[in-house]
Amino acid sequence: MQKSRNRGLIILLAAALPTLILIIWSVVSALRLVPEYLIPAPWTLAQAMFVLIFGGNTGNYQRLYSGTFHLHALATLGRVGTGFALAVLIGIPAGVASGRNNLVATAIDPLVQAFRAVPGIAWLPLAMLWFGVGNQLAIFLIGLAAFFPVYLNTLHGMRAVPEHWLEAARMLGASRWQVATRVLLPAAMPAIETGVRMALGVSCAYVVLGESNGVTYGLGALIMDSRNLGGATLMLVGMLCMALFGCALDWCLMRLLRFVPGHRPATRQPSAVNGARA
Amino acid sequence: MTAIVEPIIEIEHLNVTFTGAGGVALPVIRDISLRVPRGEFLCIVGPSGCGKSTLLNVLAGFNSPTSGQVRVAGQKIVGPGPDRGVVFQQDTLFPWLTVHDNILFGPRCRGQQTLDATDVIFLVGLSGFEHFYPHELSGGMKQRAALARVLINAPEVLLMDEPFGALDAQSREEIQEALLELCAKLHPTVVFITHDVEEAAFLADRVLVLSERPAHISVELSSPFAGMARADREDAAFGTLRQQIRACLRPAAGKRI
Repeated sequence: MQKSRNRGLIILLAAALPTLILIIWSVVSALRLVPEYLIPAPWTLAQAMFVLIFGGNTGNYQRLYSGTFHLHALATLGRVGTGFALAVLIGIPAGVASGRNNLVATAIDPLVQAFRAVPGIAWLPLAMLWFGVGNQLAIFLIGLAAFFPVYLNTLHGMRAVPEHWLEAARMLGASRWQVATRVLLPAAMPAIETGVRMALGVSCAYVVLGESNGVTYGLGALIMDSRNLGGATLMLVGMLCMALFGCALDWCLMRLLRFVPGHRPATRQPSAVNGARA
Repeated sequence: MTAIVEPIIEIEHLNVTFTGAGGVALPVIRDISLRVPRGEFLCIVGPSGCGKSTLLNVLAGFNSPTSGQVRVAGQKIVGPGPDRGVVFQQDTLFPWLTVHDNILFGPRCRGQQTLDATDVIFLVGLSGFEHFYPHELSGGMKQRAALARVLINAPEVLLMDEPFGALDAQSREEIQEALLELCAKLHPTVVFITHDVEEAAFLADRVLVLSERPAHISVELSSPFAGMARADREDAAFGTLRQQIRACLRPAAGKRI
């Protein structure tokens, strides 16, 4: 009883600030204190969002976008998924090798650090020269930018594994391979998970850059194109879609990570331990 | 009685020298010879930093002898293995595994997938806590789990490196008594490192006092309670043993200041 009341309070507290902003925004719009073309009303936004997702013919520029949400989202999902997967598939092995082998670290770490010093956005012109516009460009930019958090966190995770865990494992009879797969990797998993999660966020950011030119479908393209077409309403709708898209992907990733060996269950609150176990 | 029992640990003229930064040689163990009969509970005490842990690490296979012979059950030591179970001072349970899965880590690595941990969990007094994670356990319970994790491998010897050093006084006494009960059932050979005189007097059949670094055996004391289920802390003989150990330690410790 006590607990459910606390929960209600927490939800109330968390919802207070967004609700306040929404109220102020509605008042500003209703009183026309700011022109619609700079800040559209919440209800205009909601209506445009509805049309984008579910279709419906409204006569203006929205006809172009009516019911196309799934096309944009799928295109973006494909690019983010591919670029992110590449970053993870290259970043984790490279980070593991660098973290556990000083020779590998000496060989590749300075190069990685040098590349990391170049902001991902600075790659755009060269990448366009190499790949033109389209999927390859977006995937390259995402893969490049998302590689670093995966690599660096994996590396630090591997280096931070306490030596006595490895000694304990060998003492218990684990082979070298078993020490690596059953102790090193699970022990470094919280750090790797952090890197992978950060990489997903970076991927969602860089997909907007990758889709900024010359693609028809994509949430990034939707935002960029609305500069010419729909004005602030479509821009904000695109941003909202991007936010929902990012949150949904992160949620899926968190669910997926639960099945990874070495994933730690969230540390329970002391009271929860007693309540659940006693 | 101990004279006719075959020794399970044989150490002959063991020397260990570490090479520090800049190639400086640091002798840690100097000419230690030692035999431990099967089933004995041997405590090794010595001033801190004297090389007690190094001696244990040589037996465990984490450190190699610079010279000398070390055999456990007649076998030369080539590296760590499940025949020599180590309980460390630090908490070395794997935090991503439950108590049950931590205990079965060794058997599963060696392909024994179906082994049952129920008995060993009962033996260390952790029944009901199988599915707890290490962070949900007290310090004493963690060390019980660490003990169970090596016992399930049926080791030839148990090597314990100040395993209760980080516990509070009450948990320490509880777990010491639990350890003796367990020894009365299983009769393992134990090499137990400690800097706690009281602990050594309570647990040991035999106590070795090491000198300061480089460590060699300065005194060997037999417990009047050797072979008995447990020492009586109130007995006069217990006090005498404690005094003897302390007295042997003191000259070594005094020189350090």
